Amino acid sequence: MGYAIVQVLNALSFSALLLLTALGLSVVLSLMNFINLAHGSFYLLGSYIAVFWFASGAPWWLAFPVAFLATALAGALLERFPFRGFYARTHLMQVLLTYGLSVVFADLMRWGFGAQILSPELPEPLQGVVFLLDMPFPVYRLFLIGVGFFLAGILWVLLDRTLWGAVVRASVADRGMVETLGIDTRRVLSAVLVLSAGLGGVSGALGAGMLAAYPGLDEEVLILALVTVVVGGLGTFRGTVLSALVVGFALTFSKVWFPEFANVVAFSAMAVLLLLRPAGLVAPRLRQV
Amino acid sequence: MRDDAQPRLAATRRRLLVGAGVSTLLPLARPVLSQGARPLRIGMVTSLSGPFTALGESMRAGMQLLLSQSGNSMAGRSVEFLVEDDAARPEDGVRKARKLIGQDRVDVICGVISSGVALALRDVVTEAKVPTFLLGSANDLARKAASPYIVRPTKTNWMLGHTAARWAYDKVSKARVLTVGSDYAAGREYVGDFVQTFQQLGGRLGRQLWTPLGSADFGPLLTTIASERPDMVFGFFAGSDAVRFLRQWKEYRLAGRIPLVGPGAFFDQEDVLPAVGDAALGAVNAFNQSPTAPASANFNRAYMAAGKPLPGEFSTNGYVCGQTIKAVLERVEGDLSDWEKARAALFAEPVDTAFGRIPFDPRNGQAILDIHVNEVRRSADGKMINTVVHTYESVRDPGPDA
Amino acid sequence: MVAVAGLSAAALLAGEFHLRFLAEILIIGTAVMSLDLLVGFGGLVSLGHAALFGAAAYAAAVAAQHLGGNLLFILGTGIAMGAAVAALMGAVIVRTSSLFLLILTLLLGQIVWEIVFHWRDVTGGADGLRGLPPLSFGPWVLSSARPLFLLAGLLALAALWLAHSFVDAPLGRALIGSREQPIRMSALGYSIPRIRFLTMLVAGAIAGAAGALYPFVNLYIGPQSVHWTLSATMIIMLVIGGVGSLWGAFLGSAVYLAIQTYISAYTDRWQLFVGLIFVLTVLLLPNGLAGGLRRLASRMRRRRAQQA
Repeated sequence: MGYAIVQVLNALSFSALLLLTALGLSVVLSLMNFINLAHGSFYLLGSYIAVFWFASGAPWWLAFPVAFLATALAGALLERFPFRGFYARTHLMQVLLTYGLSVVFADLMRWGFGAQILSPELPEPLQGVVFLLDMPFPVYRLFLIGVGFFLAGILWVLLDRTLWGAVVRASVADRGMVETLGIDTRRVLSAVLVLSAGLGGVSGALGAGMLAAYPGLDEEVLILALVTVVVGGLGTFRGTVLSALVVGFALTFSKVWFPEFANVVAFSAMAVLLLLRPAGLVAPRLRQV
Repeated sequence: MRDDAQPRLAATRRRLLVGAGVSTLLPLARPVLSQGARPLRIGMVTSLSGPFTALGESMRAGMQLLLSQSGNSMAGRSVEFLVEDDAARPEDGVRKARKLIGQDRVDVICGVISSGVALALRDVVTEAKVPTFLLGSANDLARKAASPYIVRPTKTNWMLGHTAARWAYDKVSKARVLTVGSDYAAGREYVGDFVQTFQQLGGRLGRQLWTPLGSADFGPLLTTIASERPDMVFGFFAGSDAVRFLRQWKEYRLAGRIPLVGPGAFFDQEDVLPAVGDAALGAVNAFNQSPTAPASANFNRAYMAAGKPLPGEFSTNGYVCGQTIKAVLERVEGDLSDWEKARAALFAEPVDTAFGRIPFDPRNGQAILDIHVNEVRRSADGKMINTVVHTYESVRDPGPDA
Repeated sequence: MVAVAGLSAAALLAGEFHLRFLAEILIIGTAVMSLDLLVGFGGLVSLGHAALFGAAAYAAAVAAQHLGGNLLFILGTGIAMGAAVAALMGAVIVRTSSLFLLILTLLLGQIVWEIVFHWRDVTGGADGLRGLPPLSFGPWVLSSARPLFLLAGLLALAALWLAHSFVDAPLGRALIGSREQPIRMSALGYSIPRIRFLTMLVAGAIAGAAGALYPFVNLYIGPQSVHWTLSATMIIMLVIGGVGSLWGAFLGSAVYLAIQTYISAYTDRWQLFVGLIFVLTVLLLPNGLAGGLRRLASRMRRRRAQQA
């Protein structure tokens, strides 16, 4: 019984991590129809920031806002050039540009932070463990679950329930109309991209305790996030949350039941899912013409 | 003239082989007289991108340290050192080796971390008859894939799996031993050799778990292990997998409750231990390298004086590889043109290295090594150190007999 | 004509290492060119192309181990395997597009990789297969660099010719139509899934032919040749060379492999070079080096015309 509960919690914590990495990607995709394959770089930058912040002795919880601000700043610079010119281009061109940038960033980060695997010393309050019917489960993972779904909730309120969120959605739906209301839609779109970059960074800071930080992690995380977003259905918020749960449980329980063939089983499950629902779990209503 | 010897028209297999031999010999045959004046070119193939980047950088640093200590000369010949990146991809590694041989005309090739790259290089260097000092550790390199042109100044996976089993059976547990490994060539060999020896000794095993290379989350696996309640766990992971497994091993409170044993690469001093805090404290590993082994003391000092951390396997490997090349050259007075002779000189007498005094097995060019049993202990300044608690002397791979 | 002249000049002049390197460029280039059929003409960006190429390479290597290296037999095995995997992948992806297609091909490609990686008895697992018998054609054994290079050159020319005829054929025209105006094409009575499926088959057969020769360059094949990172590398090569030009694929793979082989001897930062060249290509030369060269040529022609 304790075993089953802990495995479910394992799956939930991995889902939370997937959700965190996928949120930023999902936001730009759903609101701006922009594919940002450099998102893994924001994640890894956030992880490195957390590693050094935790080691510095400063108050540990500040690591997350700092990672958010630093990667948001990087996002703001990139938004000015070259992202802005590509919002209206085809998905193919966006994929190529941002993938190319991610190759450049990967090597720059390796240059700056070295090739060694770095791993943060977790702050005292997150090092604990709880025993559920004699089975251990780390506090840090409970923290991940909490923060992951909390951030998703905030984001949902922000985009779905506030005036600002309405402006963002309106700018995507009919840019010309919003402009006539006297709103600078270019700034709205910049803000969304900066928010997404910051989310990438903060997810990196949160995930560093689980995944560590090393060259190549950016690519691994990007793939996980991309699979999550796509399985969820491009650009629906509910879809991304649902898909993080589905992918997280699929990956975790394939490890529980078929550890040796975990990847094949999980990949096949996701491929079948995409075949059954070719537009993702929650398909947005799109015009065809 | 060379074209006549090309095997294009050869109709039979034997003629083909003769042809291939002659055609590849010709471009390499150089006047022996000029050897003294010409600098010695050493080409290293190692991973400077891809998953083994950190290990590759360490290997290169170890070799560079030896070269700078020797004033960039060996046996009176100045040395040119060329490094090529194989990105841990065999196809790239082979291309780089062909470049070193065909374009840069190196006299010696050394290096390699990935066993896939090592096995792919084997036929290329053998066909080209270039003396090669391979540092990959696949068992086959000392067995089916052994070659008269390959010297192996490092361990085979068997040496570690086998000794770990002897230690585990004598000192840790004789039954209910669970194994867990990264599901690729090295993991299969380490765990397979451990299991074989452990069962031969009469030990009994529990579950055997395998997990894909590059796992993001070990939580499900560790929960499974916790529910099995084994008396001991033998495991192998490398690089980022090792770091994640060990950290989560501690997070799930298995550290200190279940003895953890593995091959030394799982707890590498330079690559893994600095990234896992005290998660590996008390773990035991069988390894040909240890920073506390007396033979490596001088190397440790010199390596750290260059601003590096306490050395692990691959920096030591790079250094030992250089020491072995240097020893061969000194025994033949810098003339490598007769490789048969140079090889015989290497096998005639052991070489003093940072791994200790190592004799080479004439059957396969494989080093016969002392394998240490290291325990991860806290040093006076709080660092985690692989500390020698026992040494199995002169462990020799079964080689062609296996 | 230029291509044939270049190939024969190289065959006469280059040394052992360079010939083998050129053979590798031509073989990889052929696979990249088959990807161009999907990306450049069908708008189908696949991250699973290495699975077609690599599965064919393994099939050829295993066939050679058991039945010898007869060239035609090996080529046939590779083409059949490439087309078979393409058919499987094609059947799955014909109805998807954009990111869904990208992720589905990635997943399917990685499933192929997992099979290759785990089927140790046949594929050698992580270590791959080595010591393969060399290719042979009748009484001739094709093991040294020059015949391998000529073989790769012939393969590249044949594949280029085939791809050009495919693009010019009604099916190729319909493929471009399905990319530009899918709804109009459907309204005209074309079956877009069928067009895409047939294109996948052709691309798979060409990639399979290239894959069949690949193990024999080094008499070795390893699982990296199936991995999705090779698919991503192929896309980089294609973009640098020029999407939609077919011959640019060879240019792109030559540039990439040359950077990887030569720059990396001088600096650890070769990936930075690749990345920067890639980004600059996307920003400045949307049609790649091939498009850039073509523009340059037409500008020079115009200037000459003005002078005359």
